Amino acid sequence: MNAIEIKNLTKNYGEKQALSGLTMTVPMGSIYGFIGENGSGKSTTEKIICGLLHPTSGQVKLYDKDYTDIDIRASIGVLIESPGCYPNYSVWNNIMLQATNLHLDNKEDEVRKVLKLVRMEGAASNKFKNCSLGMKQRIGIAMALLGNPKLLVLDEPINGLDADGMRIMREILTDITKDQKCTILISSHILGELEKIATHYGIIRGGKMIVEMTADELDKSCPTFIALKSKNMTKTKELLSKKYSKVLEDEQKEYLRVYDAQKAEDVVKYLYDNQIIVTEIKTDKIGLEEYYINLMNNKEVK
Amino acid sequence: MNIKFEKNTFEKRIKSMLAVDFRRMFTSPLFYLMVGISLVIPILILVMTTMMDGSVSVNPQTGEETIMEGFKNVWQIIGSISGDSSTMSMDITSMCNINMMFFLIAVFVCIFVSDDFRSGYSKNLFTVRANKTDYIISKSIVGFIAGASMLIAFFIGAMLGGAFSGLTFALESVTIGNIVMSMLSKIFLVSIFSSIYLLASVIAKQRLWMSLLISFGIGMLFFTMIPIITPLNAGIMNVILCLVGGGLFAFGIGVGSYFILKKTNIL
Repeated sequence: MNAIEIKNLTKNYGEKQALSGLTMTVPMGSIYGFIGENGSGKSTTEKIICGLLHPTSGQVKLYDKDYTDIDIRASIGVLIESPGCYPNYSVWNNIMLQATNLHLDNKEDEVRKVLKLVRMEGAASNKFKNCSLGMKQRIGIAMALLGNPKLLVLDEPINGLDADGMRIMREILTDITKDQKCTILISSHILGELEKIATHYGIIRGGKMIVEMTADELDKSCPTFIALKSKNMTKTKELLSKKYSKVLEDEQKEYLRVYDAQKAEDVVKYLYDNQIIVTEIKTDKIGLEEYYINLMNNKEVK
Repeated sequence: MNIKFEKNTFEKRIKSMLAVDFRRMFTSPLFYLMVGISLVIPILILVMTTMMDGSVSVNPQTGEETIMEGFKNVWQIIGSISGDSSTMSMDITSMCNINMMFFLIAVFVCIFVSDDFRSGYSKNLFTVRANKTDYIISKSIVGFIAGASMLIAFFIGAMLGGAFSGLTFALESVTIGNIVMSMLSKIFLVSIFSSIYLLASVIAKQRLWMSLLISFGIGMLFFTMIPIITPLNAGIMNVILCLVGGGLFAFGIGVGSYFILKKTNIL
C-alpha cells in the first residue's frame, strides 16, 4: 500500500497552471524527498494533500482512500511554509492548542514529550512571536509530531535550523519511520541534508514529476569517479584525456575527475610515469545536489 | 503492511474543536476586552447623558436652541416599549442602547475567526479536519456565547451606570418579567448576528477588514429589526420567535458558511 498516490493532478490559479498532470507515488514508511525549483509546484502539491487547496482535476489518494477521508486526514502532521501558531500565545499554549485540536488523551505529557524531542523545553513559556526563526521551525516540527502521525508533510522544515537543529531533525525523522508506521513527505532545498535521510526522491519541474526513484536507484545513477589535484592541472588533464575517455573538471575547477578509471593507484602511476606529481587524490561520487543540478540543466545523467 | 486509522467520530471532532475555541476564547485578551468594553459603555453613556440632560445648545448661525434630552429611566438603555415613537427615532436614547452591542459582537467574531487564518493556525485545523461542519458549529457556539456575555455585561453595566448617575429604576408600564424576556430575546437574536458575522469571516478569511465591512454592511440591514422584535415589554412570544427564528436562521447561514469553506481554498 502506498501512503500517497497522486494521478494526473492539475491545479490552476486563474490563468497560471501550478500543477500540470502531476503523478506521484509515496510508498508507506518512506522518507520521500520532494525536490524542485521555487514555484515548481511542491507546496501546492503538499497543500492539496493536506486539503488546504482544491485541485482543479486529478486524483489524490492517501492509504488507498480519497484524500478527503476524515479518519486518515486526522492522522496527518503538517508543517507547511511556517508553523501555524498564534503569535501572542506562548510556545506551550500553541502546542497545547494543537494537542487539544488532535483530541489527545494525555495532552500535557504529549506536549512535554515533543518539546523535549525538539529541545525546546526551556522556551515553553516564551511568546511565539519572540522566538527566532530556528526556534519557530522547531515548534512547527513539535506540533507536526504530536499524536504520532501516520503521515508527516513537511515543507522546508530545515530552513532556519542550526547544525544541531538539523542533526536533531534527522534523528527524529529517521527514528519515527523505522517501524514503517510513519511516512514522511519532505521538501527542501538543502539537498545535502535531504540526502542523508531520504529513502525515495521525486523531482518536480513546471508542475510535472520528471523523476521518481529510490535512494538506491539514485546511488546507482550517480557515477563514481577519481578526483585528483596536481601542480600542473592543464598538463594533467591533457595526459589523462589521452588514456581515459571521460576526464572533467569539477564545478569549482579545483579537482580533475576521471570517470572511467578502475583504481586510483593506476592513475597515480600513469601520471608519475609522465612526470606529474599528484598532490591529492580521492574516490568520490556525485551526490543528490549534483545529480539534481545536472538534471535541471539537462546534462547527461546516467 | 496494513495500517489502521482511529475512527474520527463527529463527537470527537466537535469536542476537540469546541475545546480549542473555548481555550482560545478564555485565554485571549480579546474576549475580556470586549466584555469589559460592554460593561463600561452603558456606565459612560448613562453618566454622561444624565450630566448633559436639560442643557441647551445654541446653533451660532441660526440661533436655534436645542435642549439635550438624556435617559429618563435606566431601562431605556435596555430597550424601548413597542409602539413607542422612540422605537424608530434617531435620538441619543434610541441609538445609544444595548442594541449597538450587536456591532461590537461583529468585531469579536471577525477578529476571532480571521485570527485562525492570519496566524496560519487554519493549516493545523483543516489538515486534520476534512469535514468543516465541526468548525462552523463550534465557531457559531463561541460567537453566540461571547455575544451573550457581552449583552449580559452591558446589562450589568447599565445597572451600575443607573446607580452612579442617579437615574430612576422605576418600572412604569413594564415588569421585571418583560425585561428578562427582552434580554432573553436579544440573547437568542445573537445567534443570527454571530452566524452572519461568521459567514462574512469565512468569505473574507485572513482579510479582517473585509469581514468587518461585510459584517457591518449586512448587520445594518438586520439592525432595525432588533428594537422591533425585542422591545422592553417583550413577552414569551418574543422569546420563542427569537429562539426559533434565531436557531433556524443560524442553521441556514451556518450551512452557507460550511459550503463556502468547503468549496474554497483555505490558504
